[in-house]
Amino acid sequence: MTDTLLSVRDLKKHYPIRKGLFNRKVGAARAVDGISFDIEEGETLGLVGESGCGKSTAASSVIHLEEPTAGEVIFNGNGRQGATRDPDGTHPNDVTEFDDDEMMEFRRGAQMIFQDPSSSFDPRVSVGNAVGELLKVHGMSDRHRRRAIVEDLLERVGLSANDFDRYPHEFSGGQKQRIALARALVLNPDLIIADEPVSALDVSIQAEILSLINDLQEEFGLSLLFISHDMSVIRQVCDRVAVMYLGEIVEIGPVEEIFTDPQHPYTEALLSSIPTPDPRASVGGIELKGTVPSPTNPPSGCRFHTRCHKVIQPEGLDIDQDDWRGLLNFRDKVGIDEVDVEQVRENIAGSGTEPTDSEVRAEIRREFDISETVDDPELERTLSEALDLLIEGDSERAGSVLSDAITTPCAEREPEQTVHAPGHESACLRHEGQAAAEPNPADD
Amino acid sequence: MADDQPLLEVENLTTKFSTDNGTLTAVDGVDFSVNTGETVCIVGESGSGKTVATESITKIINTPPGEIEGTVRYKGRDLLSLPESELRQIRGNEIAHIFQNPQEAMNHCYTVGWQITEALQIHQDVSDDEARAKAVDLMDRVGIANASSRFDDYPHEFSGGQKQRVMIAMALVGDPDLLIADEPTTALDVTVQAQILRLLDDLQEEFEMGVLFVTHDLGVVAEIADRIVVMYAGKVMERGDVLDIFDHPGHPYTQQLLECLPEFGGTGGGIPGTLPDPHDPPDGCRFAPRCEYAEEACRTGEQPEEIEVAPGQEVSCVHYGPGGNPSIVRSEGLGPGDDTGTVDGDSEVGPADD
Repeated sequence: MTDTLLSVRDLKKHYPIRKGLFNRKVGAARAVDGISFDIEEGETLGLVGESGCGKSTAASSVIHLEEPTAGEVIFNGNGRQGATRDPDGTHPNDVTEFDDDEMMEFRRGAQMIFQDPSSSFDPRVSVGNAVGELLKVHGMSDRHRRRAIVEDLLERVGLSANDFDRYPHEFSGGQKQRIALARALVLNPDLIIADEPVSALDVSIQAEILSLINDLQEEFGLSLLFISHDMSVIRQVCDRVAVMYLGEIVEIGPVEEIFTDPQHPYTEALLSSIPTPDPRASVGGIELKGTVPSPTNPPSGCRFHTRCHKVIQPEGLDIDQDDWRGLLNFRDKVGIDEVDVEQVRENIAGSGTEPTDSEVRAEIRREFDISETVDDPELERTLSEALDLLIEGDSERAGSVLSDAITTPCAEREPEQTVHAPGHESACLRHEGQAAAEPNPADD
Repeated sequence: MADDQPLLEVENLTTKFSTDNGTLTAVDGVDFSVNTGETVCIVGESGSGKTVATESITKIINTPPGEIEGTVRYKGRDLLSLPESELRQIRGNEIAHIFQNPQEAMNHCYTVGWQITEALQIHQDVSDDEARAKAVDLMDRVGIANASSRFDDYPHEFSGGQKQRVMIAMALVGDPDLLIADEPTTALDVTVQAQILRLLDDLQEEFEMGVLFVTHDLGVVAEIADRIVVMYAGKVMERGDVLDIFDHPGHPYTQQLLECLPEFGGTGGGIPGTLPDPHDPPDGCRFAPRCEYAEEACRTGEQPEEIEVAPGQEVSCVHYGPGGNPSIVRSEGLGPGDDTGTVDGDSEVGPADD
């Protein structure tokens, strides 16, 4: 087995929210909230998720551009392999505990590439000097040697040695990203963190850069943490993937297994949102409605339950899943008083006649994808009662009627990690119980 | 309007810019048409002239330095010869634009509702109250929850996807017959992209619009297009029905664009080389310098004439022309699920059986 280069344990990054005269802390945006993963030597781990799920914050906390709030980042590169934990439980390779000298050394071993190549170069510094600056900072004072190293690297990323004295504006986006790669490689690092390195590029250039990354990884024996929102890009470069949602990793596993056998509903939804280059396939699949909720006040239980298409029904209930999702959405919207009966009325009135109450009821049901009658008599009664209250204008009582009757286990309990296959884990309540039955191959 | 007449007909459209380094020909004699209810996609790499071509239709590029020639017939009227005052009646009312970056297309200093009603009141003679009601209705139709209370919010209070929805609402104020969407999903996340594509699909049906969609992403094209126009360096390389082009891409450029997609067995590498200098395009086929099948005949004269290789599918390539041998570039059976040749072992591995 190869050695683990990087292991991240329970990493958290919370941004305090301050208010008032004394700048008191009133809350925190929990951008990254307890993530753990390992990267082996020579391996590429993908980190995938929507905007706002904390991928980039995770990257900058791992590489220590930002001080993590809690957790460990153990980096075994730079010849520090084989270290073991000290008796007091701390690890000598924990980046969060490094002093200045160790940090300088760590910066040599771990590099980063950013999304937008145009804004990550100084327009007034030639690209050769931009790449060579890192060598200078790390103590190589010989100008000619610096130049030789940089020229060699520029050639290895597919540019020419003559480009040393040219300026960033003379290069296209794809070429600039090649220079960014050269800059990341110049100190011969063990780990590169690539934060959406191809999102700003054209499809044809994307493919070029991805294959270059693959080649260089083999040539230099690099480990990569590759961040992207695009599952199809992840598939091209990664060995393993971690799927992130609202500061947490919901599923992690080998890339092929995640693609062929996704376990977490969020992974399924992400996969089905990739545009299929097959004109016969209809636009369809699972639609993720809305956006990621605010990390200042994440949903209770499983954080995905507010958007999940497979949200669990309470024991003894068995209605159409779409109705159930619709009912939950309806409950949430009424709870925050966002169902505007007047607006619904206006919408119907727009098509002619004055709307009757039953038309309004039907319209609200249609809006939330709830069928005309819900398959459970008791629930149907509750829903009708709430609709009546809503039409009478008493949305507060409608809200409490709904929230008393409609509850899901997903909102109450936080899911544990379930192991599906070696190295393939997910956190979803639907799989709990099944884990106990199966032997746990990861525990050895 | 006669039934057989296309909604929009572009013929020999040429757009040049005078720059310090001489004349830059961004679009060089391009033809295409859009029918009512149809989605036509213009595909190509950055810099191939897609955006300039669509912006030339309603003359929203500055002239000078730009210079637009050719004919653009919209419902039989030649837009390029219309006076500016009449053109303004068409822009926004009948032909609407959506742009790539919703952040930049909105004014941060005004509320979203104000910006929609402004567009509305420019084109229609409505009172403030009516305009507000209509704007709220439009915001509701493009899927902004709680539209009436979000009316007075500022753009920064909306997410990227919501901003794009607002842009779409703004484009719909005049009940347009033609919607020009210039990479409307490129700046968005994949999940949001799926939402916006679905929305455009629904709205097209509801408003019975023709849609001219510009993108570099063939995955998006496959989802929404009826017909495709492949552009490269200001010229049309290939055109045809979406199914024909995905099944039998004729032009080497189209083939290579498709091979960039991992689902087509592409293992990366992309298309070697870059676009030619638009100040001084190469002789012959514009793609010849990057084409693996290029011969001497490809490098002389003009861009080859478009040859019909199948009903409705036309290719501009020497190998399909008189004296050419189409079998050199013919790629039968290139398509998803048929990844012959280029599979490198990581494409179809079943779940581990344990």
